[in-house]
Amino acid sequence: MSSLDERRAGFQRYKDRVKTEGKPFYPYAMFHDTVMSLVVVSVIIGLSIVWKYTSILGALIGAPADPGTRNFVPRPDWYFYFLFYLLRIFKWPETVILATVGIPTLCLILLLILPFVDVRTERRLSRRPVAIVAAALTVVSMGVLTYKGATAQEAIASEVKAAIPSWAKKQGFENNQEALKGANLFAVSGCTNCHTYLGTGSSNLGAPDLSAEGSKNKGIQFQIDHLKCPSCVNPGSPMPPFAALGEDNLKALATFLEASKGPQ
Amino acid sequence: MATTTKPSRTQSLAKTAAYPLDWLEERSGLIGGVRYFLFRKVPGDTSWWHTLGSATLTAFLVQLITGVILAMYYKPDVNSAHSSVVHITNDVWGGWLVRGMHRWGASVFIILMFMHMGRVFLFGAYKYPRELNWIVGVLLLATALFEGLTGYLLPFDQTAYWATVVAININGTAPFVGPFLASILRGGAEIGPDTLSRFYSIHMLLVPGALIGLIGLHLYLIVRLGVTSPPWSKESADRPPDPEPPAPPRSGLVQPAPRAAGVRRRPSE
Repeated sequence: MSSLDERRAGFQRYKDRVKTEGKPFYPYAMFHDTVMSLVVVSVIIGLSIVWKYTSILGALIGAPADPGTRNFVPRPDWYFYFLFYLLRIFKWPETVILATVGIPTLCLILLLILPFVDVRTERRLSRRPVAIVAAALTVVSMGVLTYKGATAQEAIASEVKAAIPSWAKKQGFENNQEALKGANLFAVSGCTNCHTYLGTGSSNLGAPDLSAEGSKNKGIQFQIDHLKCPSCVNPGSPMPPFAALGEDNLKALATFLEASKGPQ
Repeated sequence: MATTTKPSRTQSLAKTAAYPLDWLEERSGLIGGVRYFLFRKVPGDTSWWHTLGSATLTAFLVQLITGVILAMYYKPDVNSAHSSVVHITNDVWGGWLVRGMHRWGASVFIILMFMHMGRVFLFGAYKYPRELNWIVGVLLLATALFEGLTGYLLPFDQTAYWATVVAININGTAPFVGPFLASILRGGAEIGPDTLSRFYSIHMLLVPGALIGLIGLHLYLIVRLGVTSPPWSKESADRPPDPEPPAPPRSGLVQPAPRAAGVRRRPSE
């Protein structure tokens, strides 16, 4: 008997049993469904009451949207935190696409093909170790990613990048292609993990604010040398070298820094 | 005379009362359909685990109703969106409740969806012949997440705006179609007035329509294929037929399985 015949026979047994031993949906199952539905509606109403009268669930509404501000760290709704945190894991430019498209698409495909991969008729959990492990791993990883996403503070590349047009306007390098390219590199290369720039980023390890770096007029060549080996130019600097970015990119980055004369 | 007219009068009264139903049944078959839906047999050991699906449906209905009410007051325009939401929250009678239910109902809807999916996975209920319904369920999950994403912009406060900026940027990183998708979502090169009305239309027309269609298909497949029995059930598809002789007919539908009788017989004290 082929596997499909077995499954068909199993489904026929199910149908026969339900016909002889089953109970009607109304009122038996419907009773459970109705009680559960009332619980759901009560929970929803309860949450909105808690939202209205306490601050546990956050503010009722924030300040009006203002495309001009740039130091606002965006937060998606909580059920996107796991995706949100993936972006922080894969923050290097070459890997961002893994977090934004690669992994979510892979998860979706895995879910869609599940019934065609797991074709055994066995449904008892005690005999489905792979399914148990897969379920546990999914729950744990989603839980961890959601928690990390909820507590994450640092800005991520795609958030920083969104701020570039306003930087260009404030610093007056809108027409400087080289500086714009440098700003883009600045946003995606992890600079804002330690430096702040016009309110974006976070200051770690005593790294200075770079909003007015250009006003020191140190020169493009100094900036390139410093980026290649910070501790050679500035003994004791904990900043890692960025020589790996390559000559062209370093020049763009240096131009961007020199063009940052402080907000006009 | 009175004795013969009286029963015929009640009869005719009952007939009159049932007439609209009969009329409807004769022309549509809907009454029979509802009767089939309500009185179809489900496995005797369905439990509270099986209520997660209908609980998800309830959360969706809450979203539909509160969403329709919110749409009566909401203004999808960059200059008045935020103030209309403030107006709903502070001035409209019961507005805070309706908006709160829509806001938190969305979270409850998503949680219940994940729980329902987990239940279906652990019960192995996605297996033959219910593969297609699993796929419909996965599509429902993806569609519902997209509904949450588009709804998040509508209050048009700082969080909403910047989260959407990031979400659209993320969309734009997809290979080939990414920039195209991002520009469709934005309604142009920049996030602006067109983005808000576009998100509003997607959020209250396109995606809910898709959700309703998929839910209809989901329910149709459930009714057609039957509710899955729990994996520990004898009705579970993998078990061979019961070798025991048929049990005596059960007197009630909720009476425990007759296996207990065999256990009791053995000690014979």
